[in-house]
Amino acid sequence: MRLLSKISYYHFWLSAFVLGITGFMLFLFLRKEISKEIEEQLELQLDMVYEEIRAGRNIDFPLVQISSGDERLMKQPKIFKDTLIYDRVQKVLEGYYYFEESKIINGKPHRVRVMTTYIGWDHYSKTILYIFLTIALSLVLLGTLVNYLISRSIWRPFLINLKRMQGYSVSSKDVLQLSRTDVKEFQEMNQVLTDLAERGRKEYNALKEFTENAAHEIQTPLTILKTRLESISQLEIDRELGRLLNDAKQAVSRLSKVNKGLLLLAKLENDSFPDKQWIDLAEVLKRNYDLMEDLFQHKSMHVDLHTEAKKVFASAFLMETLISNLLSNIISHSDPGVAVSISLSDQKLELSNKGKPLAFPESKLFSRFTKGIDGYNGNGLGLSIVRQIAISNSWQVSYSYKNHAHVFTVTFDSNNQV
Amino acid sequence: MKVLFIEDEPVLLDEMETYFNSLNFICEQAPTFRQAAQKLRDHSYDIVVLDITLPDGNGIDLIHDIRKNHLETGILILSAKDSLQDKLQGLNLGADDYLTKPFFLEELNARVNAIYRRKTLKGVEEICFDDFSMDPLSKSLFFKGETVNLTRKEYDMLVYFVVNRNRVVSKPSIVEHLWGDHFDQNDNFDTVYVHMKNLRKKLSAPSGKDYIKTVYGMGYKFIV
Repeated sequence: MRLLSKISYYHFWLSAFVLGITGFMLFLFLRKEISKEIEEQLELQLDMVYEEIRAGRNIDFPLVQISSGDERLMKQPKIFKDTLIYDRVQKVLEGYYYFEESKIINGKPHRVRVMTTYIGWDHYSKTILYIFLTIALSLVLLGTLVNYLISRSIWRPFLINLKRMQGYSVSSKDVLQLSRTDVKEFQEMNQVLTDLAERGRKEYNALKEFTENAAHEIQTPLTILKTRLESISQLEIDRELGRLLNDAKQAVSRLSKVNKGLLLLAKLENDSFPDKQWIDLAEVLKRNYDLMEDLFQHKSMHVDLHTEAKKVFASAFLMETLISNLLSNIISHSDPGVAVSISLSDQKLELSNKGKPLAFPESKLFSRFTKGIDGYNGNGLGLSIVRQIAISNSWQVSYSYKNHAHVFTVTFDSNNQV
Repeated sequence: MKVLFIEDEPVLLDEMETYFNSLNFICEQAPTFRQAAQKLRDHSYDIVVLDITLPDGNGIDLIHDIRKNHLETGILILSAKDSLQDKLQGLNLGADDYLTKPFFLEELNARVNAIYRRKTLKGVEEICFDDFSMDPLSKSLFFKGETVNLTRKEYDMLVYFVVNRNRVVSKPSIVEHLWGDHFDQNDNFDTVYVHMKNLRKKLSAPSGKDYIKTVYGMGYKFIV
């Protein structure tokens, strides 16, 4: 449940509860007050009737009953009670109060009963109930609405900042800008978040700088190693020394490729590729295929290449890398003579090559440094670079094994079209 | 050909100078930004090989000065950072090519030669050895005026060999030159062997001479 709904929900039940209790109390107090007033009124009326009797005047009033009698009358108690009397005019039974008392007037015991209407207490209670229900309902509804609106304006900076935080990445160049608020708690939270983001950004930049510097520091000694080893190769050397030298050269070559691959991955995560433009992917695919055609031929692979026009808005360098990695992945991991099919359409790029099922879990295919194939001596970064390039373009890359063939599919984002 | 190497690493400077001297290039060195700026003011060069990370400045800033004074000078950027931004910026400012460390000296030589032919010789100069001549524009090979049919890869390989003649050229360096610096490509050596064998046959058929010598475990040597 959202915070605002939750607050409104509690507010609704609280209002209903408070109004229910107070309404009931109002009803009880009013009834008590009115009963008291009626009693006082009836007492006064009774006193006035005594006055009349004492004066010897005859009383003939419908709501006054007087009976005189002997001593027994005096034993009857004082009664204050309500009763129902039929209203001839309204044709309903109406509630009445009566007060009955015995008193000796002029030496003779009298019992007098006076009555008065309940002043339509039924109607009153109903009216009170209706009014209160209306008050309660409008208070709850309007109150909830007002509360909702106020809360929304109070929470607005919070919600805006939440959106900004969602879209914020420590790799971005900009400092995190949060919307200002006059709520102290939010101000504190903003301060904490800004500090946190800034610290993350600084640490990220330090790490990035470190990676770049480390790569730089590694690349130069690698160049020295590489060129010096090549220079040694120019000398007269016997087979044994040649073998040792070759191992060293291969290790240097592997090291430099891993280093380059890791640097590329770091940059991909960092999304620092400024050369975005409209690229004809079919052209990139054909060019790379032409470049590697002799490699396919050498392994006697039959390649079925089918391309449709497909333009994408992406980094030229990354598209070259994506295509060449996918193609060289097939060359490196296929048995000689297998059938290969490559097709590019508006929706997807699909590459499939016949072969035995994977010797390791599919989930490891795109992760770094997966090794599990006999005779496989790649650096295990090619496919994870492919996946990272796809992610940076919001494309999907997937693998499946169908009809004895490994199928790699890059599904393009529908927004990324001409 | 006069080349200026701007590079702060002494071993690399030594390697580059030794190799390019052996190819009869006139080489000069500048290990710092200040010295490089001084040399570029006082002399003109056919090619400048420029490392962009120098102890006292960014090599990128030198490109503008070179371009201002010597339009014909070829500029090749060397960088350890492999940063696309540096590359685009350098090429936009007028650099002719870009090579990322670590590189093969043979590749650097091939690139320097290509720039030299394109800029200084305007691409008209043919590459000649013995009775063979190569036309860089049409990418074709002639023996005493007769066309020798080469595939594109064989032609590229031959240029690489000729430019780096009399030097052991390793297989990884040939792979990188022919197919670029892709990942997971160690089993392309067989294909290199096939191309080399075909090329050797096509060269020996008209001339009767075996130009390509296999240096066991090391690579190949093109002997002229």
